[in-house]
Amino acid sequence: MKRSVTITFLVVVTGFFLSLNHQAPIYAASSGAAAANQAAAPSTSDKPAGAHSAEPSGAQLYQNDCAICHGEKMEGILPAFPPLAGIGRQLSPQQITDLIHHGKGRMPAFTKLRDDEVAALLHYLTASQTVVASATTPSTSPALAAHASALTEMGRSLFQQNCAFCHGREADGGETGPDLTRSKLVAADVGGDKIGEVVRNGRPEKKMPRFNFSEQEVAGLSDFIHAQAIRAQSMKGHRRGVDVSDLQTGNAAAGKQYFNGTGNCASCHSASGDLAGIASRYEGLDLERHMLYPEHAKSKVTVTPPSGQTVDGTLAYLDEFTVALRDGNGTYRSWKVSKVKYSVDSPVEAHVELFSKYTDADIHNLMAYLQTLR
Amino acid sequence: MKFLRDIFLLAVSAAILSFACPHLLTAQNVDAAALLNPSKDSWPSYHGDYSGKRHSPLTQITPKNVGNLSLAWAFQTDQNASIKASPLLVDGILYFTVPDNLWAVDARSGHQIWHYTYQPNKGDHIGQRGVAIYKDWVFFMGPDAHMVSLNAKDGTVRWNIAVADVNKGYWTTMAPLIVGNHVIVGVGGDMDNLPGFIKAIDPETGALQWEWDATPPAGTPNTTTGGMTWIPGTYDPDLNLIYWGTGNPTPVLNGKPRPGDNLYTCSIVALNPDTGKLAWAFQVSPHDTHDWDAVEIPVLVDGTFDGKPRKMLIQASRNGYFFVLDRTNGKNLLTTTFGPVNWTTGVDKEGRPIPNPEKEPAPDGRLIAPDEGGMTNYRSPSFDPKTGLFIVDAHPSYSIYFAKPADGDYGWAGADYGLWGKGVLEAIDYQTGKIRWSHELGPGGAGAGVLTTDSGVTFTGDAHGNVLALDTKDGKTLWHAGSGAAMQSSPITYELDGRQYVLTGNGGVLFAWTLPEGMVSGGKSASAK
Repeated sequence: MKRSVTITFLVVVTGFFLSLNHQAPIYAASSGAAAANQAAAPSTSDKPAGAHSAEPSGAQLYQNDCAICHGEKMEGILPAFPPLAGIGRQLSPQQITDLIHHGKGRMPAFTKLRDDEVAALLHYLTASQTVVASATTPSTSPALAAHASALTEMGRSLFQQNCAFCHGREADGGETGPDLTRSKLVAADVGGDKIGEVVRNGRPEKKMPRFNFSEQEVAGLSDFIHAQAIRAQSMKGHRRGVDVSDLQTGNAAAGKQYFNGTGNCASCHSASGDLAGIASRYEGLDLERHMLYPEHAKSKVTVTPPSGQTVDGTLAYLDEFTVALRDGNGTYRSWKVSKVKYSVDSPVEAHVELFSKYTDADIHNLMAYLQTLR
Repeated sequence: MKFLRDIFLLAVSAAILSFACPHLLTAQNVDAAALLNPSKDSWPSYHGDYSGKRHSPLTQITPKNVGNLSLAWAFQTDQNASIKASPLLVDGILYFTVPDNLWAVDARSGHQIWHYTYQPNKGDHIGQRGVAIYKDWVFFMGPDAHMVSLNAKDGTVRWNIAVADVNKGYWTTMAPLIVGNHVIVGVGGDMDNLPGFIKAIDPETGALQWEWDATPPAGTPNTTTGGMTWIPGTYDPDLNLIYWGTGNPTPVLNGKPRPGDNLYTCSIVALNPDTGKLAWAFQVSPHDTHDWDAVEIPVLVDGTFDGKPRKMLIQASRNGYFFVLDRTNGKNLLTTTFGPVNWTTGVDKEGRPIPNPEKEPAPDGRLIAPDEGGMTNYRSPSFDPKTGLFIVDAHPSYSIYFAKPADGDYGWAGADYGLWGKGVLEAIDYQTGKIRWSHELGPGGAGAGVLTTDSGVTFTGDAHGNVLALDTKDGKTLWHAGSGAAMQSSPITYELDGRQYVLTGNGGVLFAWTLPEGMVSGGKSASAK
């Protein structure tokens, strides 16, 4: 085991230096469960820095033992090696000490570090958290600026790898993912509080996966996204997106006629009822998407269990095997489909039926008409 | 004398051993014969075999007993990324991936043998679809458009070469295809105006053997870029042709700077695997402006069509059309839709859809069916020879597409928004294109691959994360298990120690399903390998 760990670490180190030199990189293959690693990494702990000095230097220890993977400025090398900047806000001193002593995943255990060396390292790691915590506040200190840009750069790297395919490389939208530089949620976000929630929970209904990023990684991501939003605002007209002015090609009178006639919209909706003031609540693309398919519209369901006592509620889940609702009290209830009778009332399906009937002019005209309902 | 006798005994025992346990000698040695005629206890290439049918001759799991299917084991990748790989099985060891990660796992127990982690890199991490194996070597693509050759025994790296420049915007996600002495690989990258290509790499040295370019070099006037080649093709050893789908042209949503058909984007191409020379091409989306890559599996089927025996190629394409071609010459036998499609004015005399210029993305938006994800996507369909059914995860859907001059002519160059979609498993009669049965898979869409077996069972997944076993003849549900995450990969099956396993990747977990031991041991269904 010790030998394989030794090899692993040597390969990591070699690969890192090779990639620094832009050579064909080689990386690590680890044998067996990495968590079982117990041996120290010899290339570092055989000659620990400060081993002979009375007061070990945390900075020196960090540079010798940690920087190779976690970066000289604790910025990490994502996705493989997490940043340590701000680690003191995520882990307790005991947790950090345990990690150093026992390793985790690909991280080797540093069993030969003396207690005073670990203490020095801990002090160094946690002292620097204040630097990062204040990195978002304006400062003229080059060190602080370096940390701030390291955070954004880390966020950029994370974004390119995990988000760019859907949201575009510049966060301005791409395959299936919306333009984040125009997102209301991003505009309302402060320091990753709202972005972090979406990132960690995902949006399953929109097929956005959840990402298990650390607080630090979310901070980096939101920094990058905010930077992109600022950049996008300064490039008006040069990036793609849909403006309210783009959606003004229709004829409101023709739209009203379609609404009351061919489209049969009036059978469910009313300009003076549910749609009164709709154009004040939504505008532009948002309004058009709501008009074409209001994806959050609720369906009703009636379930008849074998007892015969029917239960009504809002449809909460339905697949081939399970039906679930929330009843009038907000209580969630579910049944095996095979054990009950149920019927779903889903008025939103009328929108699906219209898709194959609309012309593009119908849509533009309807848009023009709805925009008169202020 | 004793020494000589010992030598003799050793030689005899070695000979006996080699007869008794031939697999010991061929361990992890995937040769041309193994790829051409895969044994039941293997799944040695992305599709399982060269045809791309994703159909298994195994019959232990049947429509009658599949209701008893249960979990043999599950492997946790502990990664954020979903498994999009089709695992390989060679000599009892499974090889599968997520971006930057490759595992070798014991197919009997699901425990890890080794785990390889790729270097940090800036390539697009959208997915990793698996590896290829040739002899004792695994071929893995990094997100940064590098090919890595590793020792199958322990995951140590032999070499690492760049197949494209990540700094220009290329990335790689696919499982390479091994044909003869060639490791054949394609690339992704349509956020930039870059030409797509296919390369053949020498499995021993990593040297380039040939390159086929889908489009002219960037900057060639009045031509297109694009035509990315990101899913492994199929191979007909008799015709000695590989069949490969190419992706959309770039700029993606703006067709004005690239007039004409934009060959060879959105095409099925037939190439000589030894030279890379084009034998024929069939374009499924001339002048695409909707991002509908034609990389869906070109499935090779031998059968009758219009009463005549034919060597065919079948593709259910992202653009909503179902094609049957004569794969000897690329001539079209059938073109039909398999869901709502509204972007054409008809089909031309060669069987190609004719794009409606009115349905190109516009400043005030165009309603388009299907959506950008398409009527189906890269996850494999399956062809069941007994019923003649081509079974595909379909995605009826609508979206709106926008493009205006301000969006420019580079990369995406527009915007599109999905409005609505759902998942439906469709069983298409290949001779008519008629849908014989369909099975609803839920709102949004499922996106799972499909596997069929000779016993008449179809495996796939629904939009809710259920793994499904259906009756191939009518699409009725026979068994299901909630897995907690959608299946974003294509199932495989194999038989080990007399037991048939079905593997599904759901989220970041690989599940192995099998019949309870008591049901199959010694029974007539337990067949030798």
